[in-house]
Amino acid sequence: MKALDGTMTQKQHAGKRKPFSRSLVLPNDVQAVPRLQHFVDEVCDSVDFNQAQTMQMNLALEEAVVNVMKYAYPKDTPGDVNVDVCCDEGRLVFTISDSGTPFDPTAREKVDTTLSLEERPIGGLGIFLVRELMDSIHYERVGGRNVLTLCKKLGL
Amino acid sequence: MKTTLYEKDGSMVAVFEGRLDTAAAPQCEQDLKPLNDCTAGEIVLDCNALEYISSSGLRLFLSVLKHAKPKGIHVFLTGMNADLSSVFKMTGLINLFELR
Repeated sequence: MKALDGTMTQKQHAGKRKPFSRSLVLPNDVQAVPRLQHFVDEVCDSVDFNQAQTMQMNLALEEAVVNVMKYAYPKDTPGDVNVDVCCDEGRLVFTISDSGTPFDPTAREKVDTTLSLEERPIGGLGIFLVRELMDSIHYERVGGRNVLTLCKKLGL
Repeated sequence: MKTTLYEKDGSMVAVFEGRLDTAAAPQCEQDLKPLNDCTAGEIVLDCNALEYISSSGLRLFLSVLKHAKPKGIHVFLTGMNADLSSVFKMTGLINLFELR
């Protein structure tokens, strides 16, 4: 019995993580950001991310979701932001979608992080951070929805 | 998230506690407004108890700096943990502030 338990533990550590998927729907209101944080914390906990990795995922997801909350729908028009995550084959895939105005955040010009204080624009860091923190970022317009897919590889 | 300002030896110190995310940024922005009236001395942004910052928070830090620098006021960042400091490095903002 002891030997059997030991074998199973070894297998789990060899990267045979159980696949899972979870979803969250948020209103386009930045006050809902703490709910996103709880969701991301739980996902990161499920894949044994450490504090630094969890912070990075929170930051990437917040930037991507806030972008939708602020710009996808006309001002004062309520709308939803869907956040779906699935974990399979050694990676986390987050899909952020909305039914707002077509908008490709990946088409934005890259931020120049070497500019001096005087030249440095006060905003525009959000999508830059998403790019830096995730392994890939992909946008498509599907069936009247903006769909942004963010991937992060899991270490074994 | 809590932001506290106090004066110490002619410097203004802003203490950040908790998570400076997009939800917390508008209140923090209000709390930091008095810093824009500084005319001399230095400003210290105390991050010892700051757990997290997103671009909304970075924007506020940058704004403090943009107001202070033309007046010759030095802005120091202090007490950042490794996670926070990685965000400042990634965005290049680390090069704009003075560290203490």
